[in-house]
This record gives sequence, C-alpha cells and structure tokens, in this order.
Amino acid sequence: MSMKELVEILQTEIPEKLVDEIERVEGAPHFTIYVKVDKSRDLMKILHDNAGIYHLTTVTGLEIPDKEFRVIYHLQHRDEETEKEVPINVIITGIDINKPTSPTMSDIFVCAEYYEREIYDFYGIYFENHPFMERLILPENWPDDVRPMRKEYSWQDIKEITLSLAKKISED
Amino acid sequence: MAEIYRSRFRADPYGDKDAPPDSDYRIFIGPQHPWAEEPAHFIIHLKGERVVEADIRIGFNLRGLEKAMEARTWRQNTLLVPRACGICSAVHQNVYVRLVERLAGVENDISERARLIRMFSLEAERIHSHILWYGILAHDSGFDTLLHISWRDRETIMDIVEDISGNRVNPALMMIGGVKRDIPKEKIERTRPKIDHLIKQVEYHRKVFTEEASIRNRLENVGILTKEEAKKITPNGPTARGSGIPFDVRKSYPYELYDELDWKPIYYPEGDVLALTLVRIDETLESLYMLKQILDKLETAEGELLQRVKTKVPKGQYMTRAEAPRGEDIHFGMSNGSDKPERYKIRAPSLGNIDATLKRMDGEYIADVPVILRSYDPCFSCTNRIMIINKTTGEKKVMFQDEFAKRAIKAKKYNRAIF
Repeated sequence: MSMKELVEILQTEIPEKLVDEIERVEGAPHFTIYVKVDKSRDLMKILHDNAGIYHLTTVTGLEIPDKEFRVIYHLQHRDEETEKEVPINVIITGIDINKPTSPTMSDIFVCAEYYEREIYDFYGIYFENHPFMERLILPENWPDDVRPMRKEYSWQDIKEITLSLAKKISED
Repeated sequence: MAEIYRSRFRADPYGDKDAPPDSDYRIFIGPQHPWAEEPAHFIIHLKGERVVEADIRIGFNLRGLEKAMEARTWRQNTLLVPRACGICSAVHQNVYVRLVERLAGVENDISERARLIRMFSLEAERIHSHILWYGILAHDSGFDTLLHISWRDRETIMDIVEDISGNRVNPALMMIGGVKRDIPKEKIERTRPKIDHLIKQVEYHRKVFTEEASIRNRLENVGILTKEEAKKITPNGPTARGSGIPFDVRKSYPYELYDELDWKPIYYPEGDVLALTLVRIDETLESLYMLKQILDKLETAEGELLQRVKTKVPKGQYMTRAEAPRGEDIHFGMSNGSDKPERYKIRAPSLGNIDATLKRMDGEYIADVPVILRSYDPCFSCTNRIMIINKTTGEKKVMFQDEFAKRAIKAKKYNRAIF
C-alpha cells in the first residue's frame, strides 16, 4: 500500500527485491524505507537518478545494542511547482556490529561526505570507497579506539576521558 | 576549480593536506580571531589576490549534546535542547517538543492558543536573528552606520521577546504538551505599536541595502552560487533561497499553524550575497506581518496552554523538521519505552551551509572574503562558561558550569543573590 503511494509520488519504479519494508508515517506524507546494507547503494542510485531526489538533509547513525548498527539517510523529495517536500528516511539495516562497514553515498550526494565522516567519528562505522575517511569533529588528541556515541560508553565515561585530555594538555 | 565538485572540510592545521597545487599563499582565520565570534578555522588558499579554494576545520566547540541527552529524561531535555544554539534556541525547542508529543501520541491535543504562542516565539526569534545578521554584514562591508541603526531597532523586538517570555535571547516558552506562559491581553496591546514601529524601521533598512551605492557595490555580484551548483551542494534555508531554490519548511512541510497564516516564502534567483541579504530582510518583514496576524488570532483563540503528558514515552522513532533562521533544522529521536531517549540526533542548519559558502569564494577577491564568510550566518554555539569582572577592582574570574550550578543551587536554597 505504502509502496504504491511512494511510487506515485516519485513517479519511478522501485524494484521490490531492493527494499525490506516501506512505512508511511501517519499524517502528512512522510515515508520510511528499510533496506539491507548490501542493496542500499542500488536503492539510493535509483532514488537519485530516476526519482530526481537531490536534497540530503543529514545522515544519522544508530546503534541497536547487541544487534546491529544502522545508518539513516534523511532525503527530501521536492516538487518545485507546488513547493512541497516529501521526507523519505532510508534506514540501512544489518550493519555488522563487530566490523561495521557500509558503502559510501558521497559520489551520489556531495554532502554525504562530511555527514558520513561525522558518523565515522561517533560510531566507528567505516564507509567503503569514501574519498577521505578521516576525523571530522572529534579533537585531534582524542583516543582512536573510543567511539563516544556507542552505548558501551556512558556519559560519565566520556566526561572522564574529556577531563583527562584537558589535564594532559594543561600539564604539557 | 576541479570539474567534479568535492566537499571541503579536508584541511589539517597547517593547510598542507590536499592543498590546491596552483595556490601560492594561504591565509588562516581562526580558531580564535577577532573577526569571528565563533571558533572555526578557515584556511584560504590564494593565487595573487584571488581565492583558489577555501577550506575549514570544525569541532572546536563539541559539547556532546546528543550523548548528554541520552543520560537525561525527556523532560529535562526540554531545557537542554535549546542550548544547541546560542541565538536560535526556540526553534530547537520547538522541533524537540513536537517530536516528543508525536512519540507520546498527544500531538493532536495541543490547543490552538498554545500553537499560536509557539509561533509567536519562533517568528520573533527569526526577526531578531536576521536583524542581527544584516547588521554585522553591514559592519563587515565597512558600513558601520547601518550596524548601529539596525541594532538600535533590534532592541524593539528584544523588548517584545523579554516582555512575553522573561528572557531576551532564550525564551524557552515551549514545553512537552504546550507552552509555559500565556500572552495576556494587555501584552498584546503593548506589543502592537512596537511591531508597527519595527516594520517602518526594517523597510528603511531595506531601502539602504537596495539604494545606497557604497553597500550595494560590496554585495552585488559577489560570491555567486548558481541554482545548479546549489542543487548539487544542497545548502538550506536563506542560503539556498538566495540561489533560487524555493523551499521553506514552513511552506513545504507545514508544522504548527503556518498553513493558516497568510504569507509567502521569499526567494531570489541571483545567487549573490545581495540576494541573500534581501531574502533575509524580506523574510524579516514577512515575519513581522505574521506576528500581527498571530496577535489578531490570539485575541479569540482559546484552549488549555499545557496538556498532561506522561513522563514515559512509548517505543518508537520519528523525525521532525523546522525552518530555523539559518535554514532547515532536523531532529531525529528514538525512544525505548522508558523516560530517557535511546538516541537523539540534532542537525543544525549551519553545518549544511558551510560547504556552499566556501564554494562561493572560488575565484573571488580576498577583500570579499569576510562578506562571503558572513553570508551563511555562522553559528557555532559557544556558551559554556561565564566571566565575572569585579567593577571596582577590575579583577576577572572565569567560572565554569559546575561551579556556577553549585552557586545557583545554593542561592536558591538560602534565597540570596548568586554573586
């Protein structure tokens, strides 16, 4: 049902084998697409090239504890005549919790490049084929193995690490 | 300029990494610099007097807000979220409370009156933010008279905000389930003449920006970003609307009661800094007209201000967006059934706009750099400590958050002044 509605809005066919589930959020049109990590690139290519979606608002990283990582691409389908937008959240599921990797979308959406780097900082999800997979926002002296947004670190742990870094700098 | 556009944010502290081969000089601005009130490190590669490419390093003000929110309850976060930004705090709070209301399933119970008061706060914030911005822009382009005039007039709207909320910059009116305070009839009457006065003043500012040659020449045809480029780099808010991308979240995905007001989104196709300025000035005027409509509606609108909402939020996830003064503000929240969020993501508009602003600089004169850099309304929030200066001795004391909080609690307990 929601698939039909989404296809009507996008005016392009989405192969059913690519998506796991499409949810239409109640109220104003707003869709959530679930897709497996190995098929995510194909789906995003279709959304960008065929459906003409060009606006990526942001990328969110998500941890489902003891299960998997997820990456959410918040896209907006825009219609210039009516000046209306239809938000589409593409949720990439099934990213391995021990060795998290996901394909990069930076060649499809330019701004994905730095949003993906932010997730690499916070969650340690490595984006394959990314042109510049380096630290974006964490301090230079931040320990490499600490990914602060993961659930294994509590707010107190992060506070301690930050304070010890500050102490180290003031001692030097 | 390379043919395939690549994103910036690639510099190292010395600007060596990935530097363009044909540049012969580089200028560093920041992280602490008198020009910029906020900490960011711009590295501008030059060839003679022209900019080859500009780059930026960010992250000097990472406060871990998203992580901090996971350790606090939904209700406590209502007051933490507006601290995401120093000047557009109300819009962050609005996006947050709408998200929680949606997850808690009470979004349809919010009364018309509460929604109108929220909108009043949001539009007042847009007005003072825009006036502040074009005042500083005038200062950057060497026209200080307009800075003083516009900031004098800005006090009018600051007084209105203070009158209705008790605070000048952080109104914090919104709560999960409604709003904290009412706008009573006598305040409505007090506010009306102030708004009329401000409309006249902003129209005068607009006249100066469009007719005064010395400022117009500094802004016209400077830092052009075409519509095609903007579609690729995807800036948002006024930065995109200055390049002819006609999307405003208030119109394209209406929230609160924006679809019931009579207003039109502003966009200019030129793509230069002047177009950005006019977008913001016209938006200020449009917001002022909206305020008048909201006040008219408030005369008759009824309903309870605050609904009861349970502290535990049912399991679910949702995304909300709003048009902040600087662009599209997006929050994504996930609840696990307890009273604390499982994950909360905030993307403030400036991060999406930096890339487009740096692109504007390619090939421009070095003298135009400050104006272009200012064009996206830089905002890296920096309110994490206070400095206390003793008036008589001139003694300075920096006080950090913990100590300040301790003093505040003590002052409340013994009912005496903080200092």
